[in-house]
Amino acid sequence: MEPSDEALCQRAAKRDEAAFELLVERYQGRAYRLAWSILRNPEDARDLSQEAFIRLYESAGSFGGRAKFSTWFYRIVVNLCLDQKRKRRWWRPWGGDEGDDQGESFLERQPAPVTDPVDKLGRDRTMKDLWAAVDRLAPRQRAAVVLQVQEEMATYEIAEVLKCSEATVRVHLHRALSALRKTMKEKR
Amino acid sequence: MRKHPETDLVPYLRGELPPAERERVARHLDECPDCRQDTDQLRELLGELSRSVAAPPAVNWARYRAELHQKLDARRERRAWWWRPLPLALATSMAGVLLFIAVWGGRQVPTAGDPVTFEEAAIARNLGLLEQYQVVERLDLLEEDLDLMSDLDGLAAGRQG
Ligand SMILES: [Zn+2]
Repeated sequence: MEPSDEALCQRAAKRDEAAFELLVERYQGRAYRLAWSILRNPEDARDLSQEAFIRLYESAGSFGGRAKFSTWFYRIVVNLCLDQKRKRRWWRPWGGDEGDDQGESFLERQPAPVTDPVDKLGRDRTMKDLWAAVDRLAPRQRAAVVLQVQEEMATYEIAEVLKCSEATVRVHLHRALSALRKTMKEKR
Repeated sequence: MRKHPETDLVPYLRGELPPAERERVARHLDECPDCRQDTDQLRELLGELSRSVAAPPAVNWARYRAELHQKLDARRERRAWWWRPLPLALATSMAGVLLFIAVWGGRQVPTAGDPVTFEEAAIARNLGLLEQYQVVERLDLLEEDLDLMSDLDGLAAGRQG
């Protein structure tokens, strides 16, 4: 039977390199995708997700095993990304990093649905606008949306990752989705 | 009519509410066309979002892991330097020796000039030597490690909280 993430983390805490390697292989795709969804920059996503694994290696011993490993590790990833966004904001006050590469590349990344091409164009544009609006959300709201929609996490798990109450997550999601609805209504 | 359960609508749609709360929201939706409309729009929006999640640019995972290990090795090397007791002990005693020379070295060669000024000059000269010593050069690394440690403390505290 495959060892659980939690068991691997406890072994990694005792400097079991093979266990650490397995965790990296299990989580590299998710860590990178999550970082990219928040940062929207592949280089930063790569760098920060690797940094998250270094933190994991160094602090595996502080993982109590009470929480789910994925939640604990996602918190490391999300914290690093939110910190990065805060720092960027500090020296780029007009938010030049917001929604940067989402434009053209988004259309290319979509799977091609079997529909009328005119319909498809309109739909792609709507989706592009929608995700551009997600990129303009406040960082914690955006993180909550990404964790829910993309990582399919439940509210209580998002609360653990963002280190806040479930009620706060509900408020983040409510505000985020209201803003998105408003944007989409204006576009239509 | 009671307050609109705005922030409960998403958890309601995702089936996360406990039975009593779910029942309360359902009853409200029966009576409130505004919240019904909100719920329909939210359902549509959440569907659109999850159907259109974009994939990030592809990554060569073997290279990703090789890079990670390089970074990890660099971090470990730096840490090992700091935690190795021998260089630290050497550095401390070396600093002590230099200070001793600075203070006493000057006294053994009295000159006609002001003795305080002479001592100060000797200290300044030897501080130049001290500066070249590796410990001083690597203070920036110590600072970075302290930052990392405080971050890790924050994480640990967060986990307990
Ligand atoms: Zn209502």
